[in-house]
Amino acid sequence: MFISDTKAQKRHIAKTGFVYLLVSLFCVLFGAVYEHFSHEVYSGYMIYAFMFPLAGGALPFAALSLYGSIRLPGRLPLNLYNAGIAALTVGSIMEGVLEIYGTTNNLLQIYWSIGFGLAGISFLLYAIGLLAGKKIKIQKENL
Amino acid sequence: MRERINSMRLFQKKFTWAILYGLLLVSFTLYVALDTFVITRVYSVLPTDESGGSLNSSEAGASVNSSGENTEETSETATEQSNVLQLTESVVVTENSYSDTNISITITEYREYDTTIYVADVCVSSAEYLQTAFAQNSFGQNITEKTSVIAESNNAILAINGDYYGSQRTGYVLKNGVLFRESASKDQEDLVIWPDGSFEIITEGDISVSQLLENGAIQVLSFGPALVMNGSVSVSESEEVGKAKASNPRTAIGIVDDLHYLLVVSDGRTDESEGLTLYQLAGFMQSLGADIVYNLDGGGSSTMYFNGEVINNPTTNGNSIKERSVSDIVYIGY
Repeated sequence: MFISDTKAQKRHIAKTGFVYLLVSLFCVLFGAVYEHFSHEVYSGYMIYAFMFPLAGGALPFAALSLYGSIRLPGRLPLNLYNAGIAALTVGSIMEGVLEIYGTTNNLLQIYWSIGFGLAGISFLLYAIGLLAGKKIKIQKENL
Repeated sequence: MRERINSMRLFQKKFTWAILYGLLLVSFTLYVALDTFVITRVYSVLPTDESGGSLNSSEAGASVNSSGENTEETSETATEQSNVLQLTESVVVTENSYSDTNISITITEYREYDTTIYVADVCVSSAEYLQTAFAQNSFGQNITEKTSVIAESNNAILAINGDYYGSQRTGYVLKNGVLFRESASKDQEDLVIWPDGSFEIITEGDISVSQLLENGAIQVLSFGPALVMNGSVSVSESEEVGKAKASNPRTAIGIVDDLHYLLVVSDGRTDESEGLTLYQLAGFMQSLGADIVYNLDGGGSSTMYFNGEVINNPTTNGNSIKERSVSDIVYIGY
């Protein structure tokens, strides 16, 4: 449940990485268009929103699919991780929209909490999966 | 146990999870947008006088609390109203000026940096004529009205848009001697107007608004930054890149001398007027002799109202000349 190392899963990881790349490009485009009409009021959150799907999605997923020896995360940590990155990306764009307008909203904190929280839990589950897998392997070797 | 396993399986299902989570995220984002820009919440309604305007500090008294209870007798208000009636005989109004025994206003149009700038030179006999007012006479969230509408309902002679407190969730809101919001934004520079009409720039992290009220503050404007302090420009060209450097419509208030103020609005975002950077605005107001100048909400909010008319060209996107609704105004009136 927490890890997977099938070929199909590897293909899925590569596909997810590609989707993340498309999302990153969309964020770059969206940020550029939004900033173009923002009367020279800039927001780092809007400009760099693409970094979440790029650095948090496209790059790590590309690395996972390239390095065959690494055990891949299973569906549950993968879903949680994707959800976390989605929250962070949308949160960053919303933060940018509000910053450019010149306003704030405490509810924006929820994006960051949910985003980092889900990504953190996903890492934890993946790590647990890796450790458990290692333990089973050692036990098998001892037998 | 079986239900638990089923729910775990649901979370593991590829599209179910994605659809459910996507819907949740979109719904939440929609709610955040509505909460920020649309949903109206009234926290308190100010008491009004007989003519429909909101009570100013001298009428309402410092004992008026945020729930809007008035503890002062109304006889004082009646006396002041009769004084106003007596004043009407001495009122002289032209297209670009107003004067009576207590208030003198002269509007001058300047052309600087490819921009039309409207300067209201104001002299008053008492600081009580420099007032602020809320949209719909209410303090709350997303409560807005056009500057001209708020000005009319308060019988303002001259008005400019204020600090748009409603766009922020923190930052002091103290209007006409009544405290409405205490939450500080640490580095926020505010303009404090004291009972003698003098100005002071403070940082919210340095002093609480309760202390300011205790010290006698009548108005606190929370937008900024301070453009001129002690006669020197206090904002640099390189500061606040992205905001200060951008040419936009601007609104500012400055003090030249005791009870002598400058209320300034510039056009911008149009073919006729490019707009000003904060640095340009600061330099311009310094050249007019301002000792302290404070930047108010600008962009599409920038509006100047005088003698029943909007005299500048307010615009949000430059395509159409249209007033934006704002939370509050600064005005000169009785």
